[in-house]
Amino acid sequence: MSQQTRGGAAGKEPGSKYDLTKIGARVDRVNVSGLLRTHNDYVMRAAEGLFKANNFQQLMLEAMSAKSYLHELGIFKDVSVHIDISRGPDASPQGYEVTLKGKELSRVIGSAGTEVGQNEGSLRTELTIPNILGRGESISLQGSYSSTRANDLQLKFWKPFFHTRFRENRPELSFSIFRNTDRFDISSFQTINMGYLIDFSAHTQLGVDLTHSLQYENSIRDLGLLNKSVPFAIRDHCGPKLASLVRYSVVYDNRDGTVFPTRGLLLKSINEYCGLGGNVAYTSSTAHAEVNVPLFAGFVAQFCGRVGVVRETKQTTTLPINNLFYCGGPLTLRGFKYGGAGPVIDGTAIGAQTFWCTGAHLWAPLPFAGVFKGLANNFRMHFFYNVGNSNSWTTDNMRSAFGMGLALKLAERARIELNYCVPVRRQLTDKVLNGFQFGIGYEFV
Amino acid sequence: MQTSQYLNQLHTADKLAEEPWPEDATLYQPYEAEQILLPENASCLAVKAYLKMCNLPFSVRSCANAEHMSPGGRMTKLPFIRAGAFIFAEFEPIVNFVEQKDMAIGSWQDEDEKADMRTYVSLVENIFTMAEMYVSFKNERVYKEVTAPRNGVVFPWPLNLMQNYSKRRNALRLLKVYQWHDLEIDDVIEKVAKCCETLEYKLKESPETPFFYGDQPCELDAIAFGHLFSILTTNLPNMALAQTVQQFKHLVEFCRFIDEKYFQRSN
Repeated sequence: MSQQTRGGAAGKEPGSKYDLTKIGARVDRVNVSGLLRTHNDYVMRAAEGLFKANNFQQLMLEAMSAKSYLHELGIFKDVSVHIDISRGPDASPQGYEVTLKGKELSRVIGSAGTEVGQNEGSLRTELTIPNILGRGESISLQGSYSSTRANDLQLKFWKPFFHTRFRENRPELSFSIFRNTDRFDISSFQTINMGYLIDFSAHTQLGVDLTHSLQYENSIRDLGLLNKSVPFAIRDHCGPKLASLVRYSVVYDNRDGTVFPTRGLLLKSINEYCGLGGNVAYTSSTAHAEVNVPLFAGFVAQFCGRVGVVRETKQTTTLPINNLFYCGGPLTLRGFKYGGAGPVIDGTAIGAQTFWCTGAHLWAPLPFAGVFKGLANNFRMHFFYNVGNSNSWTTDNMRSAFGMGLALKLAERARIELNYCVPVRRQLTDKVLNGFQFGIGYEFV
Repeated sequence: MQTSQYLNQLHTADKLAEEPWPEDATLYQPYEAEQILLPENASCLAVKAYLKMCNLPFSVRSCANAEHMSPGGRMTKLPFIRAGAFIFAEFEPIVNFVEQKDMAIGSWQDEDEKADMRTYVSLVENIFTMAEMYVSFKNERVYKEVTAPRNGVVFPWPLNLMQNYSKRRNALRLLKVYQWHDLEIDDVIEKVAKCCETLEYKLKESPETPFFYGDQPCELDAIAFGHLFSILTTNLPNMALAQTVQQFKHLVEFCRFIDEKYFQRSN
C-alpha cells in the first residue's frame, strides 16, 4: 500500500524542482513530547518506521504514519510533527531529528449526541476517562435511549495492545457491564438484559484482512409482556433466565465506502453458542454479504444477502423467543412491515428459526447531480428487488417486493431511505406495506 | 389506541357471558413439590377447591415461571387460569369470571347474604395471605430454610439469589402496604386466632350443615379451606400458624370434610 503511494508520488512530480527521493536522510533522534500520564514504552513503536527512512520523502511519509499511529493509540487529542536537522556532537551528516508533539486528552471527556441504529435513532451520552493507567486503558460510561423506547446503559473498560509487537493486528481487550432494554413491539414483549461481556478483537492479515471478535457474555435475560392479550406461545417465555454464551464474529470488508460503495465486497458472520451453564441453550449463526459492481456513469449494481439460523443444542428445552429472527421491514424485505414476513401465532408475529433474504439494487446518482456538486454526493436513487422467506429454504412460498427510492447518507455511517415499495409475493398472514416506506440503519439488504 | 382498548374490554365482557366454560381450561401454578410457597399454595388450593365445588373441568399445569407468566394481581399473582382466550389471576377475578357463566355456586344466595359472605371472603384472604407472607418472609428461620431454597430452586446460581432478593423485597413491600411489617409474631398469631374465631363462630351458626352457609358450598368455603388446609399441612420450621389453627377443632373438621368430599374422591 505505502509502496504504491510512494511510487505514485515520485512519478507524479517529474516537473518539480526537487525529487525528494534523491535527497538522503537519516533519522538520528525521535522525540515524543507531551507525555504526562502516558508511559514511555506505550509510544515507543511510533519511532520504529522513522529510523528505517533513508531518503527525505520516506522520512516525510513515515512521519505522517507515526502521527496517525499516535492518534490511534487514543491518548492524544492532537499531534503535530516537527522535523529539524539534528545538531550536536553525535549528529550525522544528513541527520534529522523528528519531534512529535502531542497534547494528551483531558482526564474526563463527555459527549452527547444522536446515533443511528438499525431502524431506530437514539440519543446517547457518554463519559470517558481515557488513558487511566498510562497505556491507553480507558473507562467509559454510556447511556442511550432510542426512538423505539429501547434503552441501554454500559460501563466499559478497554485496553488496546497497539503498542506491542502485534501492532499490525490491533488487538484490543474490553470488559463491560451492561443493562439494556429491548422492545419487540411486534411480538408484544420486551427483554431486559443485564450482565457482563468480555471481548477480544484483533485483525489478521493472512492473505486477506479480517476483523475478528471473540466475546463471552454472561447475562440475565428477563422477558416481560407489553400488553395483556399476548398469545400463550409468547407468554410461556416470561421470566428471567441466565444465559452464558460465546460469540465469534468475523468481518471482511474491501469496499470503497460504507454507505454508498461503488466496488468491493463485504462478508460478515456472527456465530453464537449459548449454554455454558445457565438455563438458556441454543446456537445461532447469521451471515451477511454484499457485492458491489461499478457499471457506467456512476451506476452501481449491488447484491446483498443475509441468512440466519437458530438451532437447538442437546441441552435446549425451549428456544428463547428473543433470539429468533424477524424478517421484513425496511432493512430486510422492503414492502413489508417490520417483522411482517414471518410466522404468526394468534395474529401476533413470532420470530422465525431460520430466514433468508436477498436484495438486488441498481444505484444511480441523482439526475443533474453535477449542478448540486457536493450535496448530491450524499444522495442516491435506487431500484431494488427483495426476495426472502422465513422458516423455509425453498423459493416456493417466498416473499418478494420491488420498488424505487431515494437514499441519503448520514455521516459516512448510516443511510436513510425513502422507498416506494410494491410487494409482489406474500403470504396470507403477512403485513405488507404497499407505498412509501422509511428506513434508517447501517446494514441493509 | 385508547378507544380500541375500551372497545376490547366491552367486547371481552360480551364474549364472557356468551361462551360456555371451555373444555381446555387450564390452571397454571408453580411446581407443588419443589417450588410453591405457602401463600401461593393456599391461593392455588382455594381456586382449585372453588372450581371443583362448581364442578367445572380444568387441568392443572405446573411450570417454573408461572408467577412471571401471570397477568398480575393484588397479592401472590397466583394461580392464574386460562379459559379460552381469557386469562385471570388470583381468587377473586377467577370467581368473578366464573360467576358470569351461570355455573357458579352461590347463585342461590340473596344479595344480603352475598354481601355478608364477600366480607368474610376478603377478611379471610387478607388476614391469612398476610400471615402466611409474614411467616414465609419475615421469620428468619422459615425464610432461610424453606422460602429461599424453594423460591430459588428453578433458577441457576447466581440468578436464584437475585430472584430471592427481589421476591423478598416485594413481599416486604406488600406487608408494609397492609401495615403488617412492624408486627411481632405474637400480634400475627393474635390476628389469625381472631380470624379463626370469627370463622368458627360463622360455621357454628349452621351446626347441622358442613358448610358456612346452609347445605351448599360457596366462595367462602373454598377460600377458607385453601388457606386453613395449606397452613395445617405445610411443614415449616415455625409451626406457630398451624398450632393456632389447630386450636379450632371445628375448622380442622371442616378442612377434613372438604378435602374428603372434593379432593380425595376424585383422585
